[in-house]
Formats: sequence, structure tokens, C-alpha cells
Amino acid sequence: MKPLLKVDDISSFIGPFHILQGVSLEVYPGEVVVILGRNGAGKTTTLRSIVGQVPPSKGAITLDGVSLVNMPTHIAVRQGIGYVPEDYGVFDLLTVEENLALAMRQRDKPTHNRHDEVLEIFPDLRIAFRRLAMTLSGGQRQMLSIARALLNENKIILIDEPSKGLAPIVIERIQKVLLSLKKKSTIVLVEQNFALACAVGDRYYIINDGRTVLNGSIDDLIDDTALQQTHLGLMPA
Amino acid sequence: MHIFVMLLVNGLAEGALIFLMAAGLSVILGLVGVVNFAHGTMFIWGGYMSIWVYRLTGSFPLALLAALATGLIMGVVFERFFVKPVYGKVTSQILITLGLMIIFTDLVRLLWGPNPIPMVRPPLLDGTWVFGQVIIARYRVFLIAVGLFVAVGINYLINKTRIGMVMRAGIQSPEMVQALGINIKLYFAAVFAGGAGLAALGGALYAPLVGSVWSGMGIDNQILAFIVVILGGMGSFYGSAVGSILIGLTSAFTAWFFPPLTAYSTLLIMVVVLSLKPEGLFGLAVRK
Amino acid sequence: MTAKRWLWASYAVALILLLVLPHAIGVMTRELIGRIFILAVFGMSYDILRGYTGIINLGHAAFFGGGTYIAGIMFTRLGTSASASLLAVALAWAFAVILALVMGQFAFRNTGAGGVLACAMITLAFGEIVRHTAETFRQFTQGADGLTFAVPVIFRDRIGMYYYALLFLVVMTLLLRQFINSPAGRVLQAIRDNEQRARFLGYDVRKYKLLALVTAALAASSAGFMFALLTRFANTDLLSVQNTLNALLFTIVGGTGTLYGAIVGTAFVQLVQSYLLELRGIHEIFARWQIFFGAIYVLVVLYMPLGMVGAFLRIKGSLAYWRTSGGNHTRAGD
Repeated sequence: MKPLLKVDDISSFIGPFHILQGVSLEVYPGEVVVILGRNGAGKTTTLRSIVGQVPPSKGAITLDGVSLVNMPTHIAVRQGIGYVPEDYGVFDLLTVEENLALAMRQRDKPTHNRHDEVLEIFPDLRIAFRRLAMTLSGGQRQMLSIARALLNENKIILIDEPSKGLAPIVIERIQKVLLSLKKKSTIVLVEQNFALACAVGDRYYIINDGRTVLNGSIDDLIDDTALQQTHLGLMPA
Repeated sequence: MHIFVMLLVNGLAEGALIFLMAAGLSVILGLVGVVNFAHGTMFIWGGYMSIWVYRLTGSFPLALLAALATGLIMGVVFERFFVKPVYGKVTSQILITLGLMIIFTDLVRLLWGPNPIPMVRPPLLDGTWVFGQVIIARYRVFLIAVGLFVAVGINYLINKTRIGMVMRAGIQSPEMVQALGINIKLYFAAVFAGGAGLAALGGALYAPLVGSVWSGMGIDNQILAFIVVILGGMGSFYGSAVGSILIGLTSAFTAWFFPPLTAYSTLLIMVVVLSLKPEGLFGLAVRK
Repeated sequence: MTAKRWLWASYAVALILLLVLPHAIGVMTRELIGRIFILAVFGMSYDILRGYTGIINLGHAAFFGGGTYIAGIMFTRLGTSASASLLAVALAWAFAVILALVMGQFAFRNTGAGGVLACAMITLAFGEIVRHTAETFRQFTQGADGLTFAVPVIFRDRIGMYYYALLFLVVMTLLLRQFINSPAGRVLQAIRDNEQRARFLGYDVRKYKLLALVTAALAASSAGFMFALLTRFANTDLLSVQNTLNALLFTIVGGTGTLYGAIVGTAFVQLVQSYLLELRGIHEIFARWQIFFGAIYVLVVLYMPLGMVGAFLRIKGSLAYWRTSGGNHTRAGD
């Protein structure tokens, strides 16, 4: 089987700083790949490089055979990427409805029932439909952000730390949503919350100092406490 | 009392004109983070082009359309070739748009000569209405109507259309708008051109009010618009609407009661407001 | 000989040349060079703001033109006696300091990118108010006709005036150099490079910006005063945005943040201007100097952000790097 998303040894700079120095990923259709690593390892930058917000200076990125390198962000995501950034990226001055409407890509409009489908998944958003996004709680914002990524027929969804800064009970709900998506979507998930990562992930990559250093199946990682300690700094349970 | 009503009308009419310039400036500033220092130049070109077309065709609506088109075209060209290369570099933006101001102001002098060109009010809008002691120029009422129409229009645009959604979202994070698959640069260009078009329209409406156009009228009105933008809170559309009315009324009343102070009164208002409220009336931090 | 001695030797040669020059050239050229000396100080005063502090002041012409007008008005009203002249100088300086303090009070309120914009807009408004004032009070300024006036006897000799202008340039260059190399000048450069960091280091950024503005205002106002002595004429163009942009163009063409760049830039711009104006016999477009001015200005901002002296220093810097590394230095990873 050919990978849906292939990131091949990319190098990215933010200003003068060489953040990514060799990141490679392969994501196959239908799987949930979790990117793990310490703070500042380059996980977020990896996602930003894929969507073209931090264009890589070398290396290759292909989605379903189409090269994304040197593509402006808006063209890159139109190839079928749903991007859920860190801190949600929800627009405060827009209502929930408008946030969704803005995310609905023009040519995908005919598939309007997705709008209702998405609201099925997030009943909270239906209640808050006409409220300004600035009035939403952190969890609701996260759901709105994920909902936006689900609106279009995307090939892959990139989610950056959905559990960050949220209460355990909210994380539980996010986890449920991710598990329900798992059946039909391909997802790349950056996550620091190890429990959440283990619950939804199929495979993992570990990024350290801007390089992918290890990968394998989540099940193996769960059993390997030594590996958890050396690369993720987790204390043995 | 009748003087008060007349000054109110004068002030609101003047406010409407300033608003045409300030609204564009303020929306561009809020969304794109750019101040167009050549904004007054669009005002001048709008004035001259409208007179040219008016003399050619005798139609005032056509003259206004010509001005609007001139502003739009200049806006597109300025944005594409001079502002786009320096997005994010505030200092270069200021310097380049100032350079354009110099070039295009002098081009007006080259094409139409250095002396003012007279402009009459179109017959339909000329004359006055008299209510007892109150005399009201029709043209001023027309200006107020145009100002209201534009304000309502922009308000609709911002709150009810997709362009407006992109604008409100873009103020917060242009990067995220783009990550939703929207080419925000296109909207930047459109807003820039729209602002330029409104300024040019302002120039075309200003000419019949004062009876002539001259190459120095751009900078004077640009200063007023700047004062409004700072006063209203940099980048706030509603601030620019309230600020325009405030400045319009202030200059109308000082022009009547303390004529020598007219030019200073607007600056004084700005100074007072900034002293009380440093972020302006409708404070909105300009994003980087 | 060391590089430093070479430098001093070339300064000395240049100075001697400039001292002999007025006797060897025509009247027109001499007037032009005298003008360049004085305008160069105006340019340098702008470099203190733009180049050393990162401020865009669009009302800077008010200081220069203010100096010229105060000289002109005082000479017409009170005559050209020594005491009247001294009073005029004192007034020009007082005007500069007060206007700078008031202007800065409002222009330096915001920080960051919005601060630069607000500062540019507010200073533009103040500058235009001053111009407007000069146009309104016609009984003092003669309005748009311009004010012609007599100057004190000692400044009436044209060759003598050339030397005064040269002396003024040398003295002001030394003073301003002293200022930028002073501890306060260093703080200003820190503010230019990273305003937030300067703030975190505990500097009162606004106070230092005010200091820069007052210094630049005094230099510009002095230049304006000298300009009055040279031209014996003032009109409101001196107070216009156009004149502020003149100073900006001088510094940008020469190279911002280099101080001397303003001298080179002023000379270059003035020479080009007088050459183009000579061409106006050929086609009337050459009489519209401002179109060329604006075009040069836009092109320089877009394509030559370093300016002449800046580009020269960079080339010199990379040559020095080349020499010390023997030309065979390779970077790691190449």
C-alpha cells in the first residue's frame, strides 16, 4: 500500500533557527498517527511545514501523490487537509455558524449535509450556533476547531495538541470524538497527553531536536516503559 | 437655535466626507495592518477625474462612477506593485506610499496644471431649502445621505457577507484564514482597492461642496482622516464612523464661532481624547 | 601608515579642498554646495530619528522651516542687530524644543508596529498644523508669496556664507557624532533594534525617544536658521511634508543609521535635482522635479534599503572578512 501522506527528510527554519533537521513520516489511509516528543522538539513545526505555513527549505512532502512543497497554504489545504492548530485558531469575532461557514470550502458546498453531520457529533455547537466564538469555553473552541476540519471532504486531518489546557472531563469528550472519527478518517495527531495518544493512536513517531528518531506501533510503545522514559521523560507507572 | 441646526447639518455633511476617507483607511489598517499615506492622493484623483468626466458628459452620476473606478484601479495597482512587496514592513510601507503621494500629486499638476479648477454643483443638488430661519443647502443633505448609505453598506458588508467574515477573521489571524483554504491576499487587495475607491469618491463629492479642486486638497483631508483613525481607535470601523462625525461637528462649530481655530480644533480633540483614552474611542490594538 | 591615519589624512585633504573650492568654481555651483552643507545637517538630524532611533517623524519639516521662518520674521520685525540675531537663535531653539516635547508627548504613546504607524500619522498632523499656521498668519509670514528678508551684515558676503555653512556642517557633524556615541545614543540604538527588550532592560523608552526628537529638532531648527541666512527667503514649502521627505530621501539614499550617509545623500540628491532642472529647457517634464524625486525615492526604498554609505560599509565589511579569512574559509556544512 502507498502512504497517503509522505514527509521525506524535511528541513525547516523559523527565522534564523533551524527547527526541523530531518523529519520523515509516512501516514497510510485510515490510520491515526501520533507524533510524540518533548516541548520544542518540532512537532507543531512539522504540521506547519506540511500545510506550508513554515515552508521547508529542503525535503519532500506529498499528499496522495501531489507534492505540497512550495505551495501557498491556501492551495495546500485545498488538496484535502483539515488543520486543527494549537490554541484552536477559532475566530473570536465570528459566530459559531460563521466559523463553520468560513471553513466550508466553496466547491464542496453541494455536500451540505456534512454540516448537519458535524453538528450531530458536537451538540454543544448546535446550542451555541449563533453565539460569538469569543463566548465559548476552551473545550467548545476545540470542538469548533475540529468541526471546521470535518466539514470538507478532507483526505487527512492534522490535529495539534487537542488536550492542551483542557480539563480532564473535556479531554475525555475529545477522546470520544477522536475515537469516533477513527473509523472513517486519516489523522495525524500531535499530543503530549500520553494516555490520549495511546487511546486513539495506531502508530507513533517520536521527534527529538527536530528529527524523527523512532517510530513503531502504539501497542509496542505502551509495553516499552524504558523507551517511554528515555524519549518522553515519562515516569514509570 | 437655527444656527445650531445649520451647523449640525454642516458638521454632519463634513463628517460624511471625512468618513469616506477614514472608513477605508481604518478597515485597511484593521485587516491588512497597512496605512496608506497615499490615501489623500486617491481623493485628489477622484476630484479631478470626476470634473473631467462631468465636463465631458454632463452627468454627475457618471462623474462619481469615474472617480470610484479611478480609485479602484489605482488601489489595485498600488497594492500589487508597491504595497505587496513590503507587507509586514511598516516603515517601508509608510515611505513607499509617501513616495507615491508625491508622484501622483505632481502628476495631477502636470496633467491639469497647478491652479484650482472650478466645479459647480449639479443643478438637481444645487440650491437650498428654507424652513423659517433655517437655511439648508441641498448638497449637504445629499452628502449626509451618501455618508449614511456608505456606512450602512459597509456595516452590511462586514456583518453579513463572506468578505466581511474574512475581514473579521483576518483581523485576528490571517494565517488561520489561509489555513482554511482561503486566499486572504486576494481579500487584502480587494479591501485596499475598495478603500481607495471610497477615498476617490470622497474627492469627487468634495469638489462641488467647496466649488473647486486643487492639488493640495488631498493632504488636508488625509490629515483629518488620520486624526479620525487615531481618535476612533486604530483599525476600528465603528470608531471611524463616530470619529468622523465628531471631527465634522467640531470643525463646523469652530468655523462658526472661532474661525481662526478651525484647523487646530480637530487636533485638539485628538489630543484630548488620547490623553483620556490612549487607545482611542473604540480601542483596537493593531496587529503586527 | 595605519588605516586610521589614512582616514584622518583624507579628511584633511577633503577639508582643504572644500576650503579652496569657492575660489575655483562658479557662483551657481558655490551656492549649490553651500546649500548642500546646510541641508546635510537637516538630513543628519533625520538620521538621528529614522536611523538611530527607528522613528518616522513626518512633521520634521516644521523644525527646519520653523527655524527659517523665525529668523526671517525676527530680521524683518526687529532688524538685523546682533542682539536681535541672538534673540532669533534663542527663539528658534525654544520653538524646536517645545514643539518636539508636545509632538513627542502624543506621538510616542503606542509601541510596536501600530506605534510606528500612529507616530507617523500624529507627527504628520502636527507638521501640517504648523504649515497651516504659517499660511494663516499672513501678516508675519506673507503666506504663500513667501517672506524675503535682509540678514545681518556679516552673513551678506556670499563667499563668507559658504565658509559659515561649511563650519556649521563640520561642527554639527562632530556634535551629532558625539551624541550618537554617548551612552544615551547607545540606548537609542538599542531601542531601534528591539524596543521591547530595551523596555525590559529598564529603560524609559519614551523618555529616550523624546530626547532623540529634541536633539533632532534642535539640529533641524539650526539648519533651518542657517538656511535663512543663506537664502534670505522663506516660504511654506519649507514646512511641507515634501520637505520632510527631502530629509528622508537624503538619509535613505546615503544610508540610514550611518550619519555621514546623510551628507553623501544630500549632495547626490541636490546635484541630481539641479541637473534635472537644467534640462527643463528640453522638455517641460523636467520642471516637475517632484515626479522624479518621488520615483527615485520609491525605487531606493524598494531596491536600495541600505543606501550608498550602507552599501559601501557592507562591501568593505565583507572585503575585510575575505581578507582576514584568507579567502579560503569554508563554512561548516557547505
